[in-house]
Amino acid sequence: MKKTTSKLKTWMKGVFVSSLALTVAACGSGGQEAKPADNSAGGQSGTAAQPADSSGDPQRLVIYTGRDKNIFEIVLPKFKEKYPNIEVETLEMGAQQILERVRAEKANPQADFWWGGTQSALATAANEDLLEPYKPTFADKVPDLYKDPQDRWYGEMLLPEVIMYNSQVLKPEEAPQDWDELIDPKFKDKIVIRNVLPSGTMRTIYSAMIFRQGADTPEKGFEWLTKLDANTKEYTQDPTNLYLKLDRQEGVISLWNLQDVLIQSKKNNHPYDFIYPKSGAPILVDGVALVKGAKNLDAAKKFMEFLMSPEMAAQLAKERFQFPSRTDISKDELPDFMKNLELKPMELDWAVMAEKEKEWMQHWDENIKGKGKK
Amino acid sequence: MRAELQQAPTAARRKSITASPAFVYVLVSPLFLILLAYVVYPLFETFVASIKIDEEITWKNYIRFFSLEHTANLEALWNSIYISVLSVITCGIVGVAMAFLLERYEFPGRKILSVLALVPMALPPLIGVLSFTFLYGESGIIPRAIKELFGLAQVPFSLKGIWGVVVVHTFTMYTYFFMTATAAIKGLDPSLEEAAASLGANRFTVWRRIILPMLTPAMVASSLLVFMISMASYTAPLIFGIDRTMTMQIYLSRTNGDLDMAATQSTILSIVSVAFLLIMRWYQGARNYQNLSKGVSVHRTEIKSKAGRYTTIVLSFIGTIILMLPILVLVLISFSVDGTWTVQILPPEYTLSHYMDLFTDSKTWRPILNSLQLSAIAVIGIVIFGVAAAYAMVRLKFRGKTLLDVLIMLPWALPGTVVAINLIAAFSEPNAFSFGQVLIGTFWIIPLAYFVRHLPLVFRSTNATLMQMDPSVEEAARNLGASWWYSFRRVVFPMAWGGILAGTLLAFVQCIGEFVASILIFTPKTTPLSVAVFQRMYSNEFGTACAYGVLQIVVIIIVLFISRKLTGDKAGTAV
Repeated sequence: MKKTTSKLKTWMKGVFVSSLALTVAACGSGGQEAKPADNSAGGQSGTAAQPADSSGDPQRLVIYTGRDKNIFEIVLPKFKEKYPNIEVETLEMGAQQILERVRAEKANPQADFWWGGTQSALATAANEDLLEPYKPTFADKVPDLYKDPQDRWYGEMLLPEVIMYNSQVLKPEEAPQDWDELIDPKFKDKIVIRNVLPSGTMRTIYSAMIFRQGADTPEKGFEWLTKLDANTKEYTQDPTNLYLKLDRQEGVISLWNLQDVLIQSKKNNHPYDFIYPKSGAPILVDGVALVKGAKNLDAAKKFMEFLMSPEMAAQLAKERFQFPSRTDISKDELPDFMKNLELKPMELDWAVMAEKEKEWMQHWDENIKGKGKK
Repeated sequence: MRAELQQAPTAARRKSITASPAFVYVLVSPLFLILLAYVVYPLFETFVASIKIDEEITWKNYIRFFSLEHTANLEALWNSIYISVLSVITCGIVGVAMAFLLERYEFPGRKILSVLALVPMALPPLIGVLSFTFLYGESGIIPRAIKELFGLAQVPFSLKGIWGVVVVHTFTMYTYFFMTATAAIKGLDPSLEEAAASLGANRFTVWRRIILPMLTPAMVASSLLVFMISMASYTAPLIFGIDRTMTMQIYLSRTNGDLDMAATQSTILSIVSVAFLLIMRWYQGARNYQNLSKGVSVHRTEIKSKAGRYTTIVLSFIGTIILMLPILVLVLISFSVDGTWTVQILPPEYTLSHYMDLFTDSKTWRPILNSLQLSAIAVIGIVIFGVAAAYAMVRLKFRGKTLLDVLIMLPWALPGTVVAINLIAAFSEPNAFSFGQVLIGTFWIIPLAYFVRHLPLVFRSTNATLMQMDPSVEEAARNLGASWWYSFRRVVFPMAWGGILAGTLLAFVQCIGEFVASILIFTPKTTPLSVAVFQRMYSNEFGTACAYGVLQIVVIIIVLFISRKLTGDKAGTAV
């Protein structure tokens, strides 16, 4: 048994030595030695190949991402093409898990770039001093509404929250056309909703419902939500289950973000369609950030510029239904459904919302949820 | 400890340090240190975080927790305890009954049932629970089938709410009772029962006065395991929409950025689990149940009457089906086309494409290898330290036993997220506890997390078998001149083997399935299988995720099968 402990020690030593070696190697590459650069970039110079200034030096880039494979199979190969010297590692997680990880690793950050976080998660992280401020070249192309005033995070895409319904069951004209129709008793037990508290999206929708009826008089909003609760058949624990229950017609109506509705119906054969509420929809933003203390800040900045370049944004809009946050992307580059859809935002004061959300949601959870039917 | 050390020189013929029982201290003291560093210290920090708000010490959070104005937290506490107690009871009944049936009676189908009884361990954590909703949920196969069959307007029943959680817990956790009880029953000496019977005791009395008391250590051990893991259970309440449990409240507080409240809730969760542990220790200490023999004589009663045979065949057939259903559902989904299964009882369209995807993707196998490797490393450590700690706990006299017990069990009682966050905090910077190493972002933090989290499994099951064993057997060996190491190897270890093996298997399977902690510490090169399955699900490839899950089940069944082959059916009586 003693042997085992000493073996463990040798192992630990091995790990230590190899990590040391890695650090040394990483530091070495940081130095501006002009290595014969282009040996790896070789023949690849296509149209996009505009070799970056410090190319050649191998770099790492660790990305914590809430995006899934469908998105990065588009982005990453192109990034690799442009920066062949940057080795990208992606770790797929939920937005909440990213926050947990970045928070826990604060003393020694492992991530460089945070790709895909809700406004609330990013704002929480910014408040806890976990994010690195950076003003990208396109900073003024993103409206103030969709970025952090201190440049700690930037919105990458917009997520209008709409009314989603199962198109096998309802015709478009039968579905609720605006928020207030949702509480019509005829939709009793037709609505299924993604469990509100764990979901940034749902929390924002619910807070918006309170806000639009007066932030100073939340009682009105609470009353409205009580009626919605009465019509709600079930709260599902995650998006997968929401889709399953809608598919299987346990419920036919939900509130959800437009991009996912489009992806699910156009790409994954789910029988969904959407109604853009007449009075306007809360528009959430999904963003990106640099992690404070990141070891590969430079690579992370390059990635951010690349990801939000007009070309990339247009391609993601076409192929993955992402509404870009940048305002300077020409209409011709965008797919048809985006051109014809006017994104009418609901008038919201995000600062007030952020401040009140916790209180409102707690009240909802403790006094409204599951009690509307009585 | 000093007394033991002083003895050492007098016994001159002991050749090495391993020959002395003091060697156990050598093993246990680093364990103490490890636990102090990675369990107690982070917990203490958590506690401090819960009472320190803006540099001020205040009990505000605790007052808020117990305030009658907002009852969410109290409801959560109550629900968690309620669910856990119910789970212990139902798991106990199912697990012990099955163990007894399979160990003591011979009937057609016994062998297959005794392998399948372990299968629920193999259910992958995330999609495993989902398969229950596919089976018994409102749109599940069985309620819909019954509705169609009898032409009902509504589905007759569906699994939901607290009972849903308890059913899932029972199904997935009865194995803790089953494994430890099986090991204990193998160690029972039937001559005690025969003696009782010949003295005129009826069957009921034999059960009540002989068998159950003899099983006490096993029952206590598994009750603890089940109670604590139910307290820390996260997926099942999540799937059935029970927000009011401690784990969900912790999660919500963290999402809210309400870190000090989350710390308060974790502290209270740990206190409840420790209280349960102390009660159990007290109860166990109040009784005596030791056995002198090695329990060699497993003789199974054959069921001879015709009616009895048919009933058992039918019952074991039904039992097998129930055990297999959730897995069969996963298999079914893994072959069905995504999004086509809507209002039908069974999926309408089938495809092989999910498996094609998996088998043509070169990245499929890496996570499986990773998981096997990570778990194997962790389990080796678990066995060494778990057995040593259990032995020290039962046989040696030293101060701080209760403390050691609490320390080892705590990580089991905490939600996986909390354990992982504690570890990251401990290893993100080089400090004394981490031997100057930074482990986050490396391979080693994952086996370490598995080790800390699953150590209780081997520790408890070994502890239980050692409790059942009379120390005079070991003393006899020592009197006959055997060195400590020799008697440990030839007497103690073989007698405890059943319990050790049971714990080891449980630990290994749990390591492979571990998800909540893994997701916070994995790296791209060390992605474990459970995280890979999650990533498929996250990419909305539900069918492929299920196919991957099926692969995970196959891996675990192979492991179970191999271990069974290697140890034979006589695991409890080897040597």
